[in-house]
Amino acid sequence: MPSMNMVLIFSFLLFSLGVVGVLIRRNALIILMCAELMLNAANINLIAFARHSGTVAGQAFALLVMGLAAAEVAIGLAIVVALYRRKNTITVDEIHLLKG
Amino acid sequence: MPFAQSLLESLGRDLPYLYGPLFLVFAATLMIWPGDLLVGRTNKRAWSYVAFLVLAAGGAMALYAPLGQGFSGMFRVDGLTKGFQFLSVLAGLITIVLSQPQLNALREQTVEYYALILFSTAGMMLLVGATDLVSMYFSLELMALCIYVLVAYLRHQERSVEAGMKYFMLGAFSSGILLYGISLLFAATGGLTTNLAELNEKLALATPNHTLLVFAGVLMVLVGFAFKVAAVPFHMWSPDAYEGAPTPITAFMSMAPKAAALGAFVRVFGTGFHGVSGEWMLPISFLAGASMVLGNVAALRQQSLKRLLAYSSIAHVGYMLLGVMSADAQAGGQAIWLYMLTYLLMQSGAFAILIHLQGKGEGERIDDFRGLARRRPVLAFAMLVCLLSLAGIPPLVGFFSKFYLFKLAIEQGHITLTVLALLTSAVAAFYYLNVVATMYFKEAPEGELKPMGSGLALILTVTCALILVGTLFGPKLLDWTAKITLG
Repeated sequence: MPSMNMVLIFSFLLFSLGVVGVLIRRNALIILMCAELMLNAANINLIAFARHSGTVAGQAFALLVMGLAAAEVAIGLAIVVALYRRKNTITVDEIHLLKG
Repeated sequence: MPFAQSLLESLGRDLPYLYGPLFLVFAATLMIWPGDLLVGRTNKRAWSYVAFLVLAAGGAMALYAPLGQGFSGMFRVDGLTKGFQFLSVLAGLITIVLSQPQLNALREQTVEYYALILFSTAGMMLLVGATDLVSMYFSLELMALCIYVLVAYLRHQERSVEAGMKYFMLGAFSSGILLYGISLLFAATGGLTTNLAELNEKLALATPNHTLLVFAGVLMVLVGFAFKVAAVPFHMWSPDAYEGAPTPITAFMSMAPKAAALGAFVRVFGTGFHGVSGEWMLPISFLAGASMVLGNVAALRQQSLKRLLAYSSIAHVGYMLLGVMSADAQAGGQAIWLYMLTYLLMQSGAFAILIHLQGKGEGERIDDFRGLARRRPVLAFAMLVCLLSLAGIPPLVGFFSKFYLFKLAIEQGHITLTVLALLTSAVAAFYYLNVVATMYFKEAPEGELKPMGSGLALILTVTCALILVGTLFGPKLLDWTAKITLG
């Protein structure tokens, strides 16, 4: 059984990957995927520590988070599609109508 | 089946706490289907009445819910819960009325619009009663996911979709940070609990090699909340989302989710992280100070009234964070509740006038208010009352709510921040008075104004009347608030 510190380090790497991806990638779809990575990093923590303590609450939490992630992606994709129909692009740098 | 039996028993015991939000969720679902077969999707007027009545009924159910705690300590109904639920429902009702002029001019269907407002309000009602990080997180997301869609609702307008996109991207990012913070706190307790009361005990006892975990977790939850209430430096989405969203939704976003998120903010930090307040007091005071300064200074140079109100709402959040910092969560919650109530009245009055002048086009610039005093003296006076109250000028009611908040902050020993708040309030008076000067001392443009719709006029009359009546009873407001929010 891997030690709990290893789990934390692994999930932190996954989380950092997500954060860096959101901050530097310019394609809206990839940003969406990176945001999902952040949620899954949290899921790993939840599941591992629920196993560690022998309770099921954390695992149930993780299941709910997966459902939430699906809802979030559905809404995100809908907005990206609406934007693509208006502007023919999903590069976030080219979205700059509103500023000030 | 003993398991099923005990499940039914506990459901029967705990369900009355949730009648209000549950009713809203069921009614909104039924509105989308099969309600649209019965009423007809093109009958916009009927839908507005249905949505208004459903929301009012849901709010009444929540107000009459029994006091207590249920669902294994995940949800708690007390005076503060009911107070903030009332604010969310009130903001939802006002939004439905404010939406009428714009929705009638659109070809989009409106059933989903109302259903999303109802779902979102249900999320807020759950959020303010959540006493567990799990229920808090999911009700926060129920609230936020619906608002992303509402912001992008005018999908034929580029700026609406763009605003929705920006809001969604940053919202998804912040919810990832919030959830990771929660998972770290869960890890810090050894995977045992996410309940706020138990968390408070466990975190204070955390062993030295867990302190980094606790610190990172609390900080990430703080960042997540700061995104949701749009505190500097996590406010980038808010001016764009406010400007691009349909104007009634801008009004909704500036009132309801803020009230609910601040209610949850007080509960999570005041009860859940109370024992480790050393970890988050300094970061949160930086958030508050930066919000006051940047919100007010950036509002100075805005030409669009929607953006001006967006930046000023960032500043108002900065003031309300003073209440979150209060060591006494109950007193802090009361001060924030009173502030939010008066803010809601002033903001909805100002938005009623903005929506009226805006009509179909994009006429939301401050210049559109030129000479309003000569063309519509009553309207200009109502705007004057709302703006002066927003600026916190005595003896209007906005002054009293600010006064109680600042008084509490001084009693808690946050002297420097309170002085900063007073100074920045003076800056705020400048840009609010600039709008007033535009209304009263500039030449009016040509052209007739159309008469105001009855819904907008009703909102405006009621809010202005309440602001003026509240002015008379200013010194007693806090006592009444204490009575209401103690249940």
